[in-house]
Amino acid sequence: MRFKRKVMGALALAATGALVLAGCTDRNDTGGGDGDTNGGGDASDVTVAFVPKLQGIPYFEAMNTGGQAAADELGFNWLYQGPTTADAAAQADIVRSFIQQGVDVLFVAPNDPDSMAPLLQEAQDAGISVATTDTDAPDSVRELFVNQAGVEGVAHALTDELMDAMGGEGKYAIVSCGETAANLNAWIAVQEEYTASDYPDAEIVDVVYAGEDQAQATAMATDLMNAHPDLTGLIGECTSSAPGVAQAVEDAGRIGEVHTVGLGTPQSMAPYLESGSSAASVIWDVEALGYLTAWAGQQLALGEEIPAEVQAGPAQEASYDADTSELLLGPPLIVTDENAGDYDY
Amino acid sequence: MSESAVKTQQQRVNTRKILPPFVTGQEIVLIGVIVVLWVILGLTTPAFLAAGSVGPLLVQVAPIAIIGVGMTFVIITAGIDVSVGSIVMVAAVVTARSLVEFGLPFWPALLLSLLVGAALGALNGVLVAYGRVHAIIITFGTMNLFRFIGLQVFGSSTVNNMPPTFNFFGRGDAGSTLGIPHAFAIAVVITAIAWWYLRYTKGGRSLYAIGGNAHAARLAGIKVQPRILMVYALTGLLAGLAACMTLAAGTSTLDQSVGTGRELQVIAAVVIGGTSIIGGRGSVVGTLLGALLVQTVSSGVVQLGWPSQLAFFFVGLFIVIAVGTDLVRERARRRS
Repeated sequence: MRFKRKVMGALALAATGALVLAGCTDRNDTGGGDGDTNGGGDASDVTVAFVPKLQGIPYFEAMNTGGQAAADELGFNWLYQGPTTADAAAQADIVRSFIQQGVDVLFVAPNDPDSMAPLLQEAQDAGISVATTDTDAPDSVRELFVNQAGVEGVAHALTDELMDAMGGEGKYAIVSCGETAANLNAWIAVQEEYTASDYPDAEIVDVVYAGEDQAQATAMATDLMNAHPDLTGLIGECTSSAPGVAQAVEDAGRIGEVHTVGLGTPQSMAPYLESGSSAASVIWDVEALGYLTAWAGQQLALGEEIPAEVQAGPAQEASYDADTSELLLGPPLIVTDENAGDYDY
Repeated sequence: MSESAVKTQQQRVNTRKILPPFVTGQEIVLIGVIVVLWVILGLTTPAFLAAGSVGPLLVQVAPIAIIGVGMTFVIITAGIDVSVGSIVMVAAVVTARSLVEFGLPFWPALLLSLLVGAALGALNGVLVAYGRVHAIIITFGTMNLFRFIGLQVFGSSTVNNMPPTFNFFGRGDAGSTLGIPHAFAIAVVITAIAWWYLRYTKGGRSLYAIGGNAHAARLAGIKVQPRILMVYALTGLLAGLAACMTLAAGTSTLDQSVGTGRELQVIAAVVIGGTSIIGGRGSVVGTLLGALLVQTVSSGVVQLGWPSQLAFFFVGLFIVIAVGTDLVRERARRRS
């Protein structure tokens, strides 16, 4: 019994300690921002916060790296915090905490655009400039959307790369991720149209949703190959299903018979590009996207107009459409066996 | 009816009640449902019954069935372990990193994963056995704690370029012998040993006693706390084994979603398999069948070209039916 009490006591102590520590770090983060106020009205005052869909995955960490680089070069504060699962409610809590902290600009990559919209309204009412990046919340008050690549750019590149590998004909299937992910669904819609109009000998036989789960994506790709023995192509629509579909082809021993293309980060795709189970990966420079996001945040905070042609750090081909308030990073990046090693995410 | 006839009938009932029948009604129903599903799938999608389709399905089933054995033990003692997904995560990421960074060969890597799993499971066991707080609260706590540890080991990045060390458990050619995936064969062997242990050993029977009435079990001389500690440690160990199979069935990149939701898949398999969530009754064979059924459904939905979200509907339906029949049986038992 004494042993039991000691264990429980130690646990309680550890838990309290962790909470206190967590509280401290939070306060210090914002304290840094507030501490600079004596500089008055200049850029170093500005605090730009970014809430990714999910913290701790290479994709958003690379965006954070880019954003931090912009903040260091241009001289403002950059805050980055996201949920540990791609969960809309957990993300909403973090957005609320940034509203309370009174940041100047708030960027969100919403997990659920619809449930994020009222929160963005709340932030705006609190005097915060709100914007989206990576994934849009179209029916919200957001002032700006930093788009990684045009819908058509990505959808056409995915289709063209796969058709290139399949010789412009045959049946293929798409393994997508979240069913409500607006960007993925927009790409898929264009892919379906574009395949029908430009590749009449090709056909999309199925679209399935694996969530953000690699193992599930692999299992579904395997099922699709078995259900359609004449399937010759697979598209992995997001960063978890892109390596998933390639792995399924590799496991089935059908490299060269079934071709895959995906939207995968260079590091995770490198082994598959090398083995030939993946023909190409369509992505964009994620660090440049982070840089552009942070840069745009500073413009919003300072009330500067964004020009039609933008060159910001590594984002040299960006363009701005004032009608839709969309800042576009540029054409997508095609990663193949040759250039996969150039990126460290 | 004469008095002696009543007596003999009573005796027959008593001897029968000492051990449950070899196969329970629920298991027969499950076997029936699985066979029907396989026949339907075989007829509608000709490729299904070809080894190319069943093999990968069995590889998917293995980790769930293996953790399910431990979970069945835990639930029989009237406990639960919701931290198994997080244990899989920690064991998988620690093992994956040591594969990449130290080039660990098969056996040491497997041993490492088992040790990590068993250590975390033993921590659960100590807290549940001696903490006197319900297992769901304790394992809910450790679930978050282990997840934190796992995320720290990931260090905000994925583990890339994993070597194919665990191919023996995988979906590819190296993962099966005569068309039978090794991972699934191991799951069957573990299930068989666990079935024998639960049915014929004193230790196994005492787990049922603990789940039926822990106080009575203690008075009957069963060392309740060490037994409980053991079942949680065993569940952790099996989660460590499942982690290696998860690595083998995944891609060469491991991301932090590994293990997420695993606890719910496992508990679903156990419940569908007929183990009573209130403890005291259950079978590992049912759990294996439950895991097989769940995976057949999610695979079948895709192969039939139905919307993939229907898999959730069917799994939910099976759980409701399984728990419903369990409640009905429980009432019938009380009445008799």
